[in-house]
Amino acid sequence: MEGERIENGTHAGGSSVYDPVISVSRLTRRFDAKVALDSVNLALPRGAVYGLVGANGAGKTTLIKHILGLLRAESGSVRVFGLDPVADPVGVLSRIGYLSEENDLPGWMRVDELIRYSRAFHPGWDDRYAEDLRQSFALDPAAKVKSLSKGQKARAGLLIALAYRPELLALDEPSSGLDPIVRRDILGAVIRTIADEGRTVLFSSHLLDEVEEVADHVTMISDGRIALSAPLAAIRESHGTLAKAFIALVGRAAAPSAES
Amino acid sequence: MRSPALAFGWEFRKRHAWPVIAMAVFLLCLAVFRLVRYVPGEPITVLPPDGRAAVVIAPLSWAFFYYLAVFSFGLSGNLGARQSIYPARMLSLPVKTAALVGWPMLYGTMTVAALVFATAVLARWPWKIDVPLVGPPLFAAAFLAWTQALMWMPYGLPAARPIVTVLWLAVFDAAVLLAAHYKVSEPVMLAILAPQIPLAYLVARYAVARARRGDVPDWRPRFMRTAAVAAPPPLSPAGIASPARAQFWFEWRRQGRTLPTLVGIVLPFELALFWIARDAPGLLLELLLLALITPPLLAAFTASTVSKANPDARDAYAMSPFIATRPLSSADLIAAKLTMAIWSTLATWLLLVVAVPLALIWSGTWPMVEQRASRLVAIVGMSRTVVFALLVLAGLMAATWKQLVQSMYIGLTGREWISKLTAIVALAFIIFIGPVVQWVVDHNSARALLWSSLPAIFAVLVACKMLASALVAARLARSELLSDRTLVTGAAAWVAVVFTLYGVLAWLVSGPLIPRFVLVLLAILAVPLARVSAAPLALAWNRHR
Repeated sequence: MEGERIENGTHAGGSSVYDPVISVSRLTRRFDAKVALDSVNLALPRGAVYGLVGANGAGKTTLIKHILGLLRAESGSVRVFGLDPVADPVGVLSRIGYLSEENDLPGWMRVDELIRYSRAFHPGWDDRYAEDLRQSFALDPAAKVKSLSKGQKARAGLLIALAYRPELLALDEPSSGLDPIVRRDILGAVIRTIADEGRTVLFSSHLLDEVEEVADHVTMISDGRIALSAPLAAIRESHGTLAKAFIALVGRAAAPSAES
Repeated sequence: MRSPALAFGWEFRKRHAWPVIAMAVFLLCLAVFRLVRYVPGEPITVLPPDGRAAVVIAPLSWAFFYYLAVFSFGLSGNLGARQSIYPARMLSLPVKTAALVGWPMLYGTMTVAALVFATAVLARWPWKIDVPLVGPPLFAAAFLAWTQALMWMPYGLPAARPIVTVLWLAVFDAAVLLAAHYKVSEPVMLAILAPQIPLAYLVARYAVARARRGDVPDWRPRFMRTAAVAAPPPLSPAGIASPARAQFWFEWRRQGRTLPTLVGIVLPFELALFWIARDAPGLLLELLLLALITPPLLAAFTASTVSKANPDARDAYAMSPFIATRPLSSADLIAAKLTMAIWSTLATWLLLVVAVPLALIWSGTWPMVEQRASRLVAIVGMSRTVVFALLVLAGLMAATWKQLVQSMYIGLTGREWISKLTAIVALAFIIFIGPVVQWVVDHNSARALLWSSLPAIFAVLVACKMLASALVAARLARSELLSDRTLVTGAAAWVAVVFTLYGVLAWLVSGPLIPRFVLVLLAILAVPLARVSAAPLALAWNRHR
């Protein structure tokens, strides 16, 4: 599939495989008096797992919403696959799989309807993969989404985000609602698989041990500013653990929960 | 805040203080204005409403229904759900069920009773309209109490809540109106109304107690076989072949069936009245008209669901990320809504086109309709009669669709202040148009001036519409939400529809009384353009905040 999309190092949409998947430059966003993002710069090359960590309210979701085009950059620029997600939502969103922390799947749909509805938007939808995921997540196709538990809703959201093998998978706090064992098994396997295929994963979390387990590269965000963006190995080398790095750079008061 | 009573009161006051303050200020202004402007005892009629009476009736009616929604928690609950709409977070409060029911019911009944009492006082003073002071406030309080009881009740079937509530309140309303019609004495009326509140309280207490236990009956298995027959065929993978069809399916499932269902509920009651009009051709005509204007009227109410950017969250104005991240352009998202509105309109009118003739035939009133039609044929000829009937049908269908879509841009902006401002402006218009119309009706010179100025008024309205359309088109082109080709095609289609409508109007009402250019202006005003075109802009503004 990837081979079909790449010709002479160029993806459909004009971006080169060597170009960053996400390129954020001097992005600033205010909500009234609060500065949610303050001159953020970020470049995510293709084919790795990027962990976006920060305390609640640090700006993780705001950054992801800019990447999806749900928020318009007040100043600075956001490019995804070389495209402006606000100007070309179809070009960008058709290549992104997104799992929202809001868990806002339509409650009135049945699981099979949700799958077929989502399938219509993506020519690259893999029916077999979708069915494998449905079975491994133990989702009843006849069940209404509103009758699912929080964890099952997250699984259903993950299924429709994964089944067309998107080039970029954006997971906003994917762990909420999943119990620790399932969380570790499912999320780790999924993220690793995606990354192995040369795709890119951006996931935000406030659980540092989870990020440490699966991420190749970590970006720490605090009060709307990037406190650190570096390969995980380099962070471990300099600070020992991600939790120690976070406390050293961001401060103990803002430190998110480190379960390890 | 140390008592549940204060806590309940604080929550209502905190969340709904502004409407209460606005209503108090309005009543104060009204009282001052009446003192200054009108002489005590000046004749004014309420039935049928005097234009000036609308100044009082419109906002107070709005306030009454607003309080019904507030105190029954209807603004935040899912009316179609089987579960009680009593807020779940409050069910676990460490208070007795009696307190959970009693305080909202007490605050609610006192508020609406005070509102109606104030209205009655305003009617008596200074105008001296003989309105009873005790009965109406008590009726309003009982009406609210029953609304609360029935809204908080868990039901065995989805959508049973609005049906049961509307039916019961209609019966209650009819019983009181009947008593008023037969002029029962004030003590008898009080004897009818007074026990309603404790009765409703007991029902509400039973309902909330069940809700607290999580005791929700489920009658769906009993209806499973019927539902299986009535349900749409299951989706096949080929059934949703394109993103546009998928989004249309989404919109249809979410909102498309609302209007046909509502009309399906209301229509049988309207058509049943045909049986009592078997010897009254005039009444039959009125009932027929009522049935025919039901779809556009109800469409105006259901339009708010079509425009809702986030239909799954009742309090939210912003789009849900699930919809906002569909890989569809904002124009395609709007196209799905417009297409859904077309199908919803067609389904509604199919219901009417089948049900109305059947009701006319079964009630034995068909010959009366035939007779009227024959009379019309004799006057204007067969072809004009047929075209006139088809035009009326097409016009009503177009009006239904127009009602569904013309204001959706407001809700789609996702801005709470725009929605509220629009509601206030609409309410203010309704309040002030009454006295203006009354003034025109009362003054011959004003009527003559209005008649002679109508073309100029139409021309100004057309100029405003075209200016707004040009601004919207320029913005659409600049934002690249629609391609140049789509814009040109849309404009050409609009012009074609306007000229077709003009042609039909000119053929139908040719005569010296109405100049041709007025017909052109009317055709331009009748075909929607600016507001519908603004919908993609509104959605994009909401989607990319």
